[in-house]
Amino acid sequence: MLKVNNLNSGYGKLQVLYDLSIDVPTKGLTVVVGPNGAGKTTLLCSIMNIANVFSGDIIFDGEPLAGVVTHKLAQKGISYVPQMGNVFAELTVLDNLHMAGYMLSKSEANDKAEQMTEIFPVLKKFIHRLAGTLSGGERRMLAIAMGLMKNPKLMLLDELSTDLAPIIAERVMTEVARMRDDLGITILMVEQMAKRALEIGDTAYLLVSGEVRYTGKADHLLHEPELCSMYLGIKESPKKDQAFELSVSDEGSEDH
Amino acid sequence: MAPWMSSGLIYASGLALTAGSITLLYIVTRTFNFAVASMATIGFYTVYTGVTLYGGLPYQYYPLVFIVGAISGFICYYGLNRQLLRRKAAEITLMMSTLGYDLVLLSMIQMYTDYLTHTYKLFPRRVTMSLFDFELFGDRAAAFILPAIAIGFIMILHFFLTKTKFGIAMRATIENPILAGASGINSDLVYLISWIISGGMAALGGSFMAMAMTGTPVMGMYTIPLMFAGAILGGLGSIYGGILGGLVIGLTEYAGVFLLSQRFGPWVLGYRMGIPLFIMAATLLVFPRGLSGIPLTKYIKNLVGQKRGVNV
Repeated sequence: MLKVNNLNSGYGKLQVLYDLSIDVPTKGLTVVVGPNGAGKTTLLCSIMNIANVFSGDIIFDGEPLAGVVTHKLAQKGISYVPQMGNVFAELTVLDNLHMAGYMLSKSEANDKAEQMTEIFPVLKKFIHRLAGTLSGGERRMLAIAMGLMKNPKLMLLDELSTDLAPIIAERVMTEVARMRDDLGITILMVEQMAKRALEIGDTAYLLVSGEVRYTGKADHLLHEPELCSMYLGIKESPKKDQAFELSVSDEGSEDH
Repeated sequence: MAPWMSSGLIYASGLALTAGSITLLYIVTRTFNFAVASMATIGFYTVYTGVTLYGGLPYQYYPLVFIVGAISGFICYYGLNRQLLRRKAAEITLMMSTLGYDLVLLSMIQMYTDYLTHTYKLFPRRVTMSLFDFELFGDRAAAFILPAIAIGFIMILHFFLTKTKFGIAMRATIENPILAGASGINSDLVYLISWIISGGMAALGGSFMAMAMTGTPVMGMYTIPLMFAGAILGGLGSIYGGILGGLVIGLTEYAGVFLLSQRFGPWVLGYRMGIPLFIMAATLLVFPRGLSGIPLTKYIKNLVGQKRGVNV
């Protein structure tokens, strides 16, 4: 569905990504993992035409996206959920949903918002509350619901688990897997909670210093001890049969 | 109504709109629009041209004033601001570009006044617009009509921003342009509409102010410090704050001049601009985030709590 070929991009004159190529298959969950500063967010920003693309191709549904402005990308069916600032804090939950479905007609937007409150019942309780007053987990649910409002073909999710308590992050990950399984949405997810993301993902890319270091099945990356310990903070566990266990020290999770 | 009060209301209504215009553009495009000075003057000359060449009352030309101001905003956005925003220009560059546009507009206003003088034998360089007003309830009609128009305009703006899809999209873009774009909102259109509304507000404000002061080609340049003082007093974060700031600055100027000249003599008139600027500085010392940063809800809750004997 989405092909990125030899992408060189960055911000201003600063290059962040170098000859990066990825392939996002239809109805799959593609995970991009890597250490801080690897360029994961820049990849999504390049697709959304927020970062500067110096060279390379981004092809969505057979159509090149070069020069297509951000709001037109949304109209083409690409939904982007940024890592930070992913809700309009000064608008109500309902207005957030309506803004996310800006391209829909009023009745379509109402129906879709209703559907979102069924998928995410927590939002129904706070439908007339300002989004800025929601908790971190509720905001993330709202952000995902906003992403779904557009009936997207492709969702770009940027580090949804950031700053969330582990139990909430786990719930968010479950929702992501459900979107792929139940709604059949193609997802490209950038994630720092690497182990869980690789467990639910289909295809994985390991990004280091703006370059791809691993391409393959997501769960197979968990069996690459060198890459996992060096770049993802996932250490080998001596206790269990499973090859590796999570130890993402910079997220405050505990070693098992 | 005392003369200072009626003039103050007229002037403050105009200043409120111009300060609101500055604030609107600042929060949407991060641009301090210096061209608001000449846009205000254009508003005045639109009314002047109407009443002198075609007759009637100044009020009937206000829709036209808004349109002319909106066009000047449209030109500034498409010809200048948009190009610079696309090149990710710094705020200082955006600001200075509006100063350049203001100077272009000012030159055109000067030429236009010369044209009116030579072609129609008018004297457009010092105009007392209040001469075209009529009496209402024993006072100048403008003292009632202009605040009413300003309030009506603010109510329409409020309705537009809170109840219409595009208005909410504007607020969304103001808060988070990247997310708004990702949601399918055309931020370019939002910026354009902001410039159009802002230009219209500035022109309307200028035409109001000319009903209380002498209309000249440089009236906008003369009053721009106060327009910005109003916007800054409002806190620069809220359109309503800017409008309120303009209102306070305009009223305190007239009230201050009246009260202080009664006490100290007419020499105070020479320092009339200092009074509202002093009020602005004093207010910002107490409330650094301006009027829109005052936690009114908290104060009201505290007040209600104290009355009930409850510490909220």
